[in-house]
Amino acid sequence: MQYKRLSPGRLSPGDEGYPAFSVNIFGDQVTEERAENARLSAFVGAIAVGDLVKTTLGPKGMDKLLQSASTGEAVMTNDGATILKAIPLDNPAAKVLVNIAKVQDDEVGDGTTSVTVLGAELLREAEKLVDHKIHPQTIIEGYRLANKAAVAALDRVAVDNGTDSAKFRDDLINIAKTTLSSKILSQDKEYFAKLAVDAVLRLKGSTNLDHIQIMKIVGGKLADSYLDEGFILNKRFGVNQPKKIENVKLLIANTSMDTDKVKIFGAKFKVDATSKLADLEKAEREKMKSKVEKIKGFNINCFVNRQLIYDWPEQLLADAGINSIEHADFEGVERLALVTGGEVVSTFDHPEKVKLGYCDSIEEVIIGEDVMTKFSGVAAGRACTIVIRGATEQVLAEAERSLHDALSVLSQTTRETRTVLGGGCAEMNMSKAVDTAAQNEDGKKSLAMEAFARALRQLPTILADNAGFDSSELVAKLRSSIYNGMTTSGLDLNKGVIADMRELGIVESYKLKRAVVNSASEAAEVLLRVDNIIRAKPRTAGRNH
Amino acid sequence: MASKVAPSNATFKDKEKPQEVRKSNIVAARAVADAIRTSLGPKGMDKMIKTGKGEVIISNDGHTILRHMAVLHPVAKMLVDVSGAQDVEAGDGTTSVVVLTGALLGAAEKLLNKGIHPTMIAESFQRAAARSVEILLDMSHKIDLSDRQQLIRAANTSLSSKIVAQHSALLGPIAVDAVLKVVAPDATNVDLNDIRLIKKVGGTIDDTEMVDGVVLTQNVIKTAGGPTMVEKAKIGLIQFQLSPPKPDMENNVVVNDYRQMDKILKEERAYLLNICKKIKKAKCNVLLIQKSILRDAVNDLALHFLAKLNILVVKDIERDEIEFISKSLGCKPIADVDSFTESRLGSADLVEEIESSGSRIIKITGVKNVSSPTVSVVCRGANHQILDETERSLHDALCVIRCLVKVKALISGGGAPEIEVSRTLFKEADSLSGVEQICFKQFADALEVIPTTLAENAGMNPIEIVTELRNKHELGERNAGISVRRTGATNTFDEHVLQPVLVSTSAITLASECVKSILRIDDITFSR
Repeated sequence: MQYKRLSPGRLSPGDEGYPAFSVNIFGDQVTEERAENARLSAFVGAIAVGDLVKTTLGPKGMDKLLQSASTGEAVMTNDGATILKAIPLDNPAAKVLVNIAKVQDDEVGDGTTSVTVLGAELLREAEKLVDHKIHPQTIIEGYRLANKAAVAALDRVAVDNGTDSAKFRDDLINIAKTTLSSKILSQDKEYFAKLAVDAVLRLKGSTNLDHIQIMKIVGGKLADSYLDEGFILNKRFGVNQPKKIENVKLLIANTSMDTDKVKIFGAKFKVDATSKLADLEKAEREKMKSKVEKIKGFNINCFVNRQLIYDWPEQLLADAGINSIEHADFEGVERLALVTGGEVVSTFDHPEKVKLGYCDSIEEVIIGEDVMTKFSGVAAGRACTIVIRGATEQVLAEAERSLHDALSVLSQTTRETRTVLGGGCAEMNMSKAVDTAAQNEDGKKSLAMEAFARALRQLPTILADNAGFDSSELVAKLRSSIYNGMTTSGLDLNKGVIADMRELGIVESYKLKRAVVNSASEAAEVLLRVDNIIRAKPRTAGRNH
Repeated sequence: MASKVAPSNATFKDKEKPQEVRKSNIVAARAVADAIRTSLGPKGMDKMIKTGKGEVIISNDGHTILRHMAVLHPVAKMLVDVSGAQDVEAGDGTTSVVVLTGALLGAAEKLLNKGIHPTMIAESFQRAAARSVEILLDMSHKIDLSDRQQLIRAANTSLSSKIVAQHSALLGPIAVDAVLKVVAPDATNVDLNDIRLIKKVGGTIDDTEMVDGVVLTQNVIKTAGGPTMVEKAKIGLIQFQLSPPKPDMENNVVVNDYRQMDKILKEERAYLLNICKKIKKAKCNVLLIQKSILRDAVNDLALHFLAKLNILVVKDIERDEIEFISKSLGCKPIADVDSFTESRLGSADLVEEIESSGSRIIKITGVKNVSSPTVSVVCRGANHQILDETERSLHDALCVIRCLVKVKALISGGGAPEIEVSRTLFKEADSLSGVEQICFKQFADALEVIPTTLAENAGMNPIEIVTELRNKHELGERNAGISVRRTGATNTFDEHVLQPVLVSTSAITLASECVKSILRIDDITFSR
């Protein structure tokens, strides 16, 4: 098919539709793509993005190495959202897919690759239908019906173990294992799954992952990582203070404890004798001392400040038996306040109004080569720290991302306790339901629904492909097995056979799967409706703008 | 269910691009490994690196070399990281870990060419690594920290590959004694920050010494004629300044007539004298003054008073040294003259400034009442390069001893553990099935790179030596390794070539983990 440029003013004289006079509707450098062209560009962009992340899917998926063009920094990742976020794209349709991956990342935390791949596959199928002269709106209608059928099927196969805490814990561990199996942590997934579940169960239903602090320290191996109750701050106590204190009452502050900052801007002394200068210096010291006295009035034994604490107040605090930690970074202070239940204060006039933080003990510990401060038995029992060890920066960063994915999926599952089966099982069940629904549907819509079912079947196909198995053979077997009523069948990608997913413990979160199907079909719908792409003039770096 | 179970990877055909990417990654990584291969072992050679700033570094330490090499390829950078991780974990064996990673990648390449799925290779390698660690722990010899001779031998093995090899008889005991002094009896880790290495150019490596107490690199101020040696010292560490008062707020002193000038000078004198007297009153006779950026830490007038009062003065103590000094002298830093009391002072038998080989240092010995002991080691060397390398070597030796504190077991060196692991894995591989068997065998093969390289670097015939070693191990001589001194295969345990087991185990696990992450990559994309 030959695509003609249809924008006004771009036709050459003599072409059909060439206006008698040139009409310039758009400004300079604005480009417009219409109808077939626009749709083609949307399809091509989306499919390219899908293909890019396709190989990362599943337990035998591969990683991508992202090399930053500006800084030369290298990131190694298996996480769809991370890959897509990092790559600069210049295709509006591709950007839509990147966005749904981001939304998936924010909402559920995992399944970002799946949603992108499914969205791309839906568009690939739609492209074929459009080629067969089916109107995009008809396809959209079909997709909508199919989506409904798919979600209904997902509801049917979902299992809820939320009431049985022992079974639910097993579910959680299995979900974590499934999530981690495609990541760098796959080798130690048993260990990390338990770690992640322990951390999430401490949250007691909250989805606020801020309580879980992840620390990355180079050295050791991944299996040396551990979960630590409490909170670890990468700072040390001040000079001449005990290395361990117990039954801690903690005041967290953001205040200047260095005299040269405690001054009135622009003010100036005029004196006529050195002794008066000495008096002034003394007065300044007294001012600092009174501040420390006020802090002492809180009846605390540990003082954490976001800013520096100078020698003089530090000594005063140490003499008063108060341990001090200076220059705790912003994030550290916020988190510390959160986990110890205290407030960050900057004035000390009303001790009775300020909430102090509490914890059982604070001590210095050595992790790797660094000395850090550990707060254990903190007031918020939910808080904990996961220390990740690993060979390289890249491994650590990827391990953190993987663990974060697992944690967010788990925390979502504690809310929505239903689970479905992985290994292509849920997809195949949905595909079956959509196929059945298509048979009962009149008209062209049913074609679109069949296409939807085909797109769903692509996910197990890709899983098998990535593992290096004969995908057509395996997926056909899986299909027949599911259609014959064995609704728990799925792909065992280690052995390359069809197996019972429930027995293998390959469980996924219901919410995740539902989000994948819903967002992918919505994204496909949005892109299908497009028949015109207008690009604004690129902003130039000129000075007159 | 499936009638014909075909769990084979025979159908796995790597697509063109991923294969290219993987190959180029492996080539890049192996290039790095090859670059530092020749520095392994006692006959290994040093590398000279000229940094961007024009600074020249000569080193045998794998991590130091890699850190200064400007590598571009992201995978090559990962190898630099892995040697960094080994540096943190064990402190020694940073070259071995990189050489091992390179060899494992070579093995992986062969397996990839056979059409085995990369994740399969990576997983099998990790299992092989886990098994290797078991074997290593099994063949290691438990030691007691009180066995000073054994510890010294371990330190000497680490030192033997460095420029300071001839001085290992001196440096080995220093490293051992330093660590033993700061370690608590039941500790499982050592904070190496408690051991202070001080570098002074001049003299030879032979002049390196361990000082029981504290060494300061600052000089005693003699301009006002104060003492340079004090016996029965009372040491004060101050964080305030001995100079005319200067409030933090901006100030002007307005002088209206000449009589006032005299008054100001007099008052300044009185102010300083008052402070100095307070110091003397607390029986302090050695004063360490923290550096100040806002004003003079000490001025000439104050120095004059202090000299009169017979107080030894050292200035320019950095703020980050305060913790170490206060810990090792048992004194408390004093931030205000009003809190200058005797109870805050530390005491020592002797504080003196020593001049040797053209540089001066202050030694504080016979320190009393210290809760947690610290040690200072003064390194000497003819030039900066040698000095730096001496310090690095000594640090490695300290790390070796630290490893032994962490895991109290020694293993014989000279490639013996690698041969033993390789031989055992090779045998055990036969009991495995499928792809894992081949992977285990390749892994075992790759481990032999260490003895091979050792032999190559020593100018021996690697094939002859390695086969001889294999033979000996087969006959039950588990400690047979390469002795470079005897140029042949001997029992390295009896030769006292020993190393901590942690160095070997950590090298194998880190290398296999790094290989795993490299194999998992199938695409390099450019991002923002």
